[in-house]
Amino acid sequence: MNSVDVETLQRTARLAGFDFAPSDLEPLRSAIERALQALERLEALPLASVEPVTQYRVV
Amino acid sequence: MADLHWTSVADLARSIATKDVSPVEVVRAHLDRIAALDARLRCFITLTADAALEAARAAEAELAAGRSRGPLHGVPFALKDLFDTAGVRTTGGSKILADRVPAEDATVVRRLAAAGAISLGKLTMHEFAYGPEGLNVHYGTSLNPWDASEERIAGGSSSGSGVAVAAGLVPFALGSDTGGSIRIPASLCGITGLKPTYGRVSRAGVLPLSWSMDHAGPMTRSATDAALVLKALAGYDPADPTTSVLPVPEYSAALTGDVKGLRVGVLRSGFVDAAVPEVRDAVDRAVKTLEGLGAHVDEVTLEHVGSVAAGSMAIVASEALAYHAEWVRGRPGDYQPDVIERLRAGAFVSGVHYVRSQQARALVRAAVDAALARRDVLLSPATPIPATRIGETEVDAGEGTIDVRSSLLRFTRPFNFTGHPACALPCGFTSDGLPIGLQIVGRPFDEATVLRAADTYQRATDWHTRRPPLAP
Repeated sequence: MNSVDVETLQRTARLAGFDFAPSDLEPLRSAIERALQALERLEALPLASVEPVTQYRVV
Repeated sequence: MADLHWTSVADLARSIATKDVSPVEVVRAHLDRIAALDARLRCFITLTADAALEAARAAEAELAAGRSRGPLHGVPFALKDLFDTAGVRTTGGSKILADRVPAEDATVVRRLAAAGAISLGKLTMHEFAYGPEGLNVHYGTSLNPWDASEERIAGGSSSGSGVAVAAGLVPFALGSDTGGSIRIPASLCGITGLKPTYGRVSRAGVLPLSWSMDHAGPMTRSATDAALVLKALAGYDPADPTTSVLPVPEYSAALTGDVKGLRVGVLRSGFVDAAVPEVRDAVDRAVKTLEGLGAHVDEVTLEHVGSVAAGSMAIVASEALAYHAEWVRGRPGDYQPDVIERLRAGAFVSGVHYVRSQQARALVRAAVDAALARRDVLLSPATPIPATRIGETEVDAGEGTIDVRSSLLRFTRPFNFTGHPACALPCGFTSDGLPIGLQIVGRPFDEATVLRAADTYQRATDWHTRRPPLAP
């Protein structure tokens, strides 16, 4: 994944309904980059036939 | 009775029932203890001393009339300040909710009152439960009582609960656990903290961090006390649709003191091996103790556990931002800096990331179920490191530096991801005198076996009976 700049983060946040200032985002930039890379790695898991879950087997 | 503040929940309940001690005497002893130590330890956000004394007098009158409310009649406790309490402010450790006064009690608060327990007040926490260190800029950061020379973290987010129980300000407390927030302070403060199975204890009336990862549970000084308190808390609640209708067992009856034949799987790869040497050694000794008591021990590796950090982050960050969205937009300056940063990060998790993470959750859950198919419990350290100094973000672990925040969450978070019950309890001390925590994980809704293993270990060791120097 390419590095993410603050302008891209600001645009993305706006699309999600949040107006963050560049000074709010600069301290987050590298952490978000690392998080997105870690999330990309989830694609390598054998998930094709796995249904998402949110709760334990509640009975 | 001497040293009422160090008396267990079980002994207090018994002595009150037999009228060897009065509820007023017990509540006063704990209020005196709070008056002597809380200015230094910073556990309470709101102390409800007058209401507690009034409740204690009522409890005494009921006993005199031959009536007992239940198994915790007259026993004091305190709550992390995210459990709703009717007429008493519930802040979530935040400035944003500083003046919020709920009209109703959380279900667990009602259940404890029905069992006869008496609340002394509301305890500090990492703001909105969003941090494992237990930091709070608004009400003060609770101080770990085990180091008189340095200011160390208590662990969070249920930091005030951990310190209050460890220092004898209350015999038990309620905590909540989204990534380890009961077990991390239990580990760092040297107490016993139980995160029950997801669905075992109601979350109705508890301020959410992440609906699908939040759990509520007891923080005590022993597994015996955890069993007593869990019995009062657990069970189906129509106000929380995720609670189970499975019957609640008599947890205390399960504490047989016997682990002969218990099948114990040690999580070595990625858990014991990832802890600092003193933690590793203490856990290895705990494993040998259980083996000596007749448990059958083997080693087990959890598949896909490497996906937990990313998956948990995506789920918690998304759910937390959904809850906080309006305040993040309108009152960002009212959050403490680390919490607003974490909340903002949630805006960059896509819907696909969220669903992938829930799929990964199914895989990891299946892996834990598979590990428990041929074993009764799994064992690991509760945290890879002991309590760090307040403000430290990295620590030298001998083989390189470790990020404190992610390190604290590393061993506990997998079982929020999967929902399995897990208990943290003390299993030793570092050469600096800091507690080391062991984690015992069980099958879904089998808290009884988790507590039996913890209790049997505590019968054979004295780590849980040691008292911190800051709180003689």
